[in-house]
Amino acid sequence: MTTKELTEQGNTQKERENLLEVKNLKTYYPIHGGFFKRVVGNVKAVDDISFTIKKGETMGLVGESGCGKSTTGRTILRLIKPTGGQIIFDGEDITRISGTKLRKARQDFQMVFQDPYASLNPMQMVGDIISEPIKNFERRDKKELVEYVKSLLVRVGLPEAAYYKYAHEFSGGQRQRIGIARALALNPKLIIADEPVSALDVSVQSQVLNLLKDLQEEFGLTYLFIAHDLSVVKHMSDTIGVMYLGNLVEVASNKDLYSEPLHPYTQALISAIPEPDPKLRKERIVLQGDVPSPANPPTGCPFHTRCPMAQEICSQEKPPLKEVRPGHHVACVLY
Amino acid sequence: MTTNTAYGAVKRPEKSSSPWAIARRKFLRNKLAMISTVFLGIVILLSLLAPVLAPYLSPIPDITKVNIGKMSIPPNDEYLLGTDKSGRDVMTRLLYGGRISLLVGASATAIVVILGTIVGSVAGFFGGAVDSLLMRFTDFVLNFPFLVFVIVLNTILYGIVDGLWVLILVIGLLSWGGVARIVRSKVLSERENEYVLAAISIGTPPAKIIIKHLLPNVLSTIIVQATLLFASLIVAETGLSYLGFGVPEETPSWGNMLAFANEPDVLQGKPWMWMPPALAVTFTILSINFIGEGLKDALNPKSQR
Ligand SMILES: Nc1ncnc2c1ncn2[C@@H]1O[C@H](COP(=O)(O)OP(=O)(O)OP(=O)(O)O)[C@@H](O)[C@H]1O
Ligand code: SF4
Ligand SMILES: [Mg+2]
Repeated sequence: MTTKELTEQGNTQKERENLLEVKNLKTYYPIHGGFFKRVVGNVKAVDDISFTIKKGETMGLVGESGCGKSTTGRTILRLIKPTGGQIIFDGEDITRISGTKLRKARQDFQMVFQDPYASLNPMQMVGDIISEPIKNFERRDKKELVEYVKSLLVRVGLPEAAYYKYAHEFSGGQRQRIGIARALALNPKLIIADEPVSALDVSVQSQVLNLLKDLQEEFGLTYLFIAHDLSVVKHMSDTIGVMYLGNLVEVASNKDLYSEPLHPYTQALISAIPEPDPKLRKERIVLQGDVPSPANPPTGCPFHTRCPMAQEICSQEKPPLKEVRPGHHVACVLY
Repeated sequence: MTTNTAYGAVKRPEKSSSPWAIARRKFLRNKLAMISTVFLGIVILLSLLAPVLAPYLSPIPDITKVNIGKMSIPPNDEYLLGTDKSGRDVMTRLLYGGRISLLVGASATAIVVILGTIVGSVAGFFGGAVDSLLMRFTDFVLNFPFLVFVIVLNTILYGIVDGLWVLILVIGLLSWGGVARIVRSKVLSERENEYVLAAISIGTPPAKIIIKHLLPNVLSTIIVQATLLFASLIVAETGLSYLGFGVPEETPSWGNMLAFANEPDVLQGKPWMWMPPALAVTFTILSINFIGEGLKDALNPKSQR
């Protein structure tokens, strides 16, 4: 622990190590059809995305419902089989590991799930839910374990008595805290938070977000923070990636993305954020049409069917994500 | 945020809020189910105690011996339920018969539930090729001709296992398909819940996920299925014995007693020979069904407390 803190302090902000590198990641869900349930096509939920997250930082991932955010998170954590590409976690390629090796590796990366109701087993006592990850990897003295789990409960803002209760006795926000305690139990390096507050009342959203921020500082966590709402991500992230139809269309620092969005899709998303100050208010860009199906994505730029700036070439060639300014990546022919 | 909690002071609460405890409280409040439970309990107790009780209830507590002088006596003070056409006491045979019928029903149910649960949960959890293979096997077993299996197993096990257990094995080994299918489909839908994904991500091994996460959540379905099966397998025993394929003739069971009474003059003129086993089967099955309904209601989290 102390050496970790030292090295973290020793690194200046700029030259922090990468904790996670995702290279050309693809995840396709096969579509079965016909008489013999043959594979007749693919839902290209994640179609060739690359990004890195530095130790101790938070990357936000935003995009509309169905654009492949959960699939990205789950694939990185090896909960879904990747179709192609590479996942490098803490210097180790985890794309193809399996069995016990994968199970062991899981100690270092955890997930906070989207649905606070479905993500907790209704038949398990809260104390057992949070102890389970520890029991999976070590034998600990029972009393000591109970104390540890209770201290985790207190840390996430729940009373110790929650240990003996069941999930159905808690509100959405409290359940999400239980889920956070479970993810924290093994002292992971990376936590992927998959829309951790989108199912919660607005009044409790910021409490849970602040808890996640406090925990990040205290435990030196790295986050991949998924949301469909840019305002939530702004509050949380160092860098932000914008996803559209299984593709990453823009990646930039928090500041750059909001002050100078480059991709037409990002510009539309940002123009849709309500701006209380009328002087700063810009004209809202309203996108035409619907998101195409990931089972049958358009050729060329995935956004060309709705892009207000689309040109002829856009439907022919898929523009790669490239660094057009220092630290600012965008996939669009305009740059 | 962490101020108002005192360390170590919190103990386990008295009244558990576990889903099982809630279900138990709901069940205890269901009158019909409780009456049925008591009734079934008495039937089981009487059957178990048959060797102890029979001598007090009948002058001839023997179940197999033929008594030429005492054939077809209607119920009276001495023979409470009369005697059958071989001169055996109906009360005695009814008590002993209950043992066999309940034993066949319970053992076959146990085999069916265990096999069906294992096959169904493994197929549902792993999916893919494992699933197709297991489900094809299930279909094969479901379509297997029953009588062929009885004859084959009887031949193989002749002299090794007694006839009663052959019957139990046959029923058990051929009837688990339905349970396997129900458990599979329940596991398939349960598996979609994020808590299963969460279990994988915290490093819980597959076997433990099935046992600790999926089975507790499909157990209510299994319990309800088991009660229905128990009832229907008692009927199956009765039916098979009645047709002559069931429990060996010399062993009394409710089915055998009915089979033995299957003659026009008995059916019309000597109701004491068949009414007792018929009523015993009917009420036992009714009570099991009411218990099943009660369990279904108690275990359904959506129903009112
Ligand atoms: N198990 C699956 N089988 C087939 N298709 C799937 C499966 N899971 C997701 N998809 C499809 O993949 C695409 C991406 O889904 P994903 O859940 O990753 O999106 P998302 O960005 O997380 O959306 P949301 O904001 O609704 O959570 C969607 O079109 C979805 O319908
Ligand atoms: S590549 Fe063309 S269609 Fe795609 S975002 Fe840029 S301008 Fe629009
Ligand atoms: Mg999602």
